[in-house]
This record gives sequence, structure tokens and C-alpha cells, in this order.
Amino acid sequence: MAEQDEVRLTVPAMPEFLRLARVTATGLASRLGFTFDEVEDLRLAIDELCFALMGTRGRPGTIRLRYLVTDQALEVEGVGDFRGEGPEPTLSDLSRQILAALVDEHEVSRGSDGLPCFRFRKARMEYGRRL
Amino acid sequence: MNSDAAQREELHQKFAEFAASRDPELRDQLVEAHLGLAEYLARRFCNRGEPLDDLVQVASVGLLKALDRFDPEREVEFSTYATHTIVGELKRHFRDKGWAVRAPRRMQELYLRLGKVIATLSQELGRSPTIQELAAEAQVSEEEVLEAMEAGQAYRFTSLDTGGPGDEEGETLATALGEEDSELLDAESRAALSPLIAQLPAREQRILHLRFFEGLTQSEIAGRLGISQMHVSRLLARSLEQLRSASEEG
Repeated sequence: MAEQDEVRLTVPAMPEFLRLARVTATGLASRLGFTFDEVEDLRLAIDELCFALMGTRGRPGTIRLRYLVTDQALEVEGVGDFRGEGPEPTLSDLSRQILAALVDEHEVSRGSDGLPCFRFRKARMEYGRRL
Repeated sequence: MNSDAAQREELHQKFAEFAASRDPELRDQLVEAHLGLAEYLARRFCNRGEPLDDLVQVASVGLLKALDRFDPEREVEFSTYATHTIVGELKRHFRDKGWAVRAPRRMQELYLRLGKVIATLSQELGRSPTIQELAAEAQVSEEEVLEAMEAGQAYRFTSLDTGGPGDEEGETLATALGEEDSELLDAESRAALSPLIAQLPAREQRILHLRFFEGLTQSEIAGRLGISQMHVSRLLARSLEQLRSASEEG
């Protein structure tokens, strides 16, 4: 059975708290031996997907993040638990294109509980494949 | 008619034509004619801890909005209308950024130092260094490296543009709009993906293209453009932030 560590973090759905979401992701990625380039990608991906859920100005409520760490990859799930009505979270074609370049897999959807959510996975690249 | 009045009349004509035709070339000319106003207004906000270049960009976005919304039929001078829109854009920028905390000096310094370490290590290793390698080389902890990366992105450093000539963010919207660059997205795919990209400065469009459409890494882009990787990183983050805000406003 593959070892899988899990870290959970809940932050208010406001831009100023995304820093914590990024730092958690990059801290875990660093343990996995991600390169500087990969860590940079990760930070941009976290922002792109969290903002897709909550908009650039944030929303009342929280984003619950779940980080799954395996040998080779980091997987992040985010669920937007917002108060009140808001726009349907969607990814523009441009966002999709951006995320495709940043991470290996990504999706934005509504969970079975009806809450908007995202998931992405970024694997560690073998050294020397790039550059 | 004196030359001022003649110029005003010519501008007035152009606004009327633009309102009818929405001709992009005319739009560029009108933008160029008013960039001075955007810069002037940006300067009025520049003692609040934001880099002037960034403020000029925010003001330029305001200018573009003003241009697209301006109705020459109404009895208002464009400069009056644009001033209102640009100042609104600048104020909103500060309101949205109001939470950002200045990074501690120590982190700013580490961030600057890391830029050099990354360049050296990438050269030595022939690939992007890991965070562990960076930390070991800089003789700090991994957490400090990550913290410095965050600090660097905080975007409000005024003193970070330490690159030499040609490594500055001084490109104006005018050059962006006027310049042909074979590496930019072709007009069609750009229009299809997002007309918002076209509003970014030429170099940022190019970086976006290389990173997200050509699939180059940040270090590869840095090498190709002859700027530091830290700089590529900041420009990318800023471009994405601007694209997000602009797309939300529709």
C-alpha cells in the first residue's frame, strides 16, 4: 500500500489567507524534493484554483484544503464553504490552459454535498529532464 | 485656430471615429495620447509604498476602461472622464491591496540573495535546484527559503528591481500596443482565449506565452529573455493577478 500523508487546513475565503495555503503546499513540496521551478508552479496553481472558487476579493465563509502527499506527488483538494449565494465557480479557457502548464491534473466541480471544489495533482519531475 | 485647439479638435474627431468604428489602431493612438495622464495620476499615488511601474500599469488599465466606455456624445471632456476612471482604478488597487504586509527586511535580503544562488546553482546543476539545495547553499533553513519566496511575491517591494538595464519593468502600454512580436500569440488565438492578455505589457504577454503555451519553465524563460528567474516569477504572478481581476470585471 502506498504511503500517503495527509494535512488539512481551513482558511477564511479571503485573499490574505491564501498565503497560508501556499506556504503549506510549498512546505510539503519541499519535503518531496520539488525544484524551485516546480514550487513556483505550485504557488501559482494554488492561487489560480482558490481564486476560481472564491473570486479575487474573497467571499464570506471558508476554504477547506486537504493536502495528500505521496512519494512522488502532491495532491491538493479545496472545498469552498461559503455563506450566501455567489457565482458558480468556473475556469475560463485561459485558466485551464494556465493550469495545464502548471500541474499534471486539475478539475473544478461541485462535490456531492453541492459545495464548489477543486482538485489538482503535481508530480515531482525527474531531475535533469528539463533545462 | 491655434495648435492646441487644433490638436483638441483632432482628438475629438478620433474619439468620434473610435466610438463608431472601435478600430484597434485608433484605440492605440488614443491610448498613447493619454498615457501621460495615466502616469501623472499614478505619480500622485506613488508615496504609498507601491512601485511606480505597478501603479502606472494600474492607471493604464483604468485608461483603457475609460476609453472603451467613453461616449463622445456626452458633454464631458475625455480627460475629465478618464481621470475619474483612472483614480477609481488606483484607489481600488490600494483598497484591494490594503491587507498586504510588508515583508521583514531580513526576508527581502534573503530573497535578493536567493536570486543569485538560484542562478549559480542552475548553472552548476544544469537544472532548477531543489529547495533543499537552495537552503544548503544559502545556509538557511528550507522554511526560510519558502518564506523568502512568499515575501518576494508580496509585490510591494519598491527596491527589488535590481536587474541591470533591459531588466526593468519600464515598458509602457504604448510599446505593448504598438509592437509586433513574432513570439506573441497570434491575434486569433489571443482573441479567442482572452482579449485581456492583449492589455498586458509586451514582455508579460511574451512570458505568459512562453510559460503557458510553449511550456517553457521559468528558468528557461529567464535564460531566453536575459532576466533573473525571480523577475520572471514576479512578472508571471502579477500578470495572472491582473488577468483574474480584469476577467472578473468583465
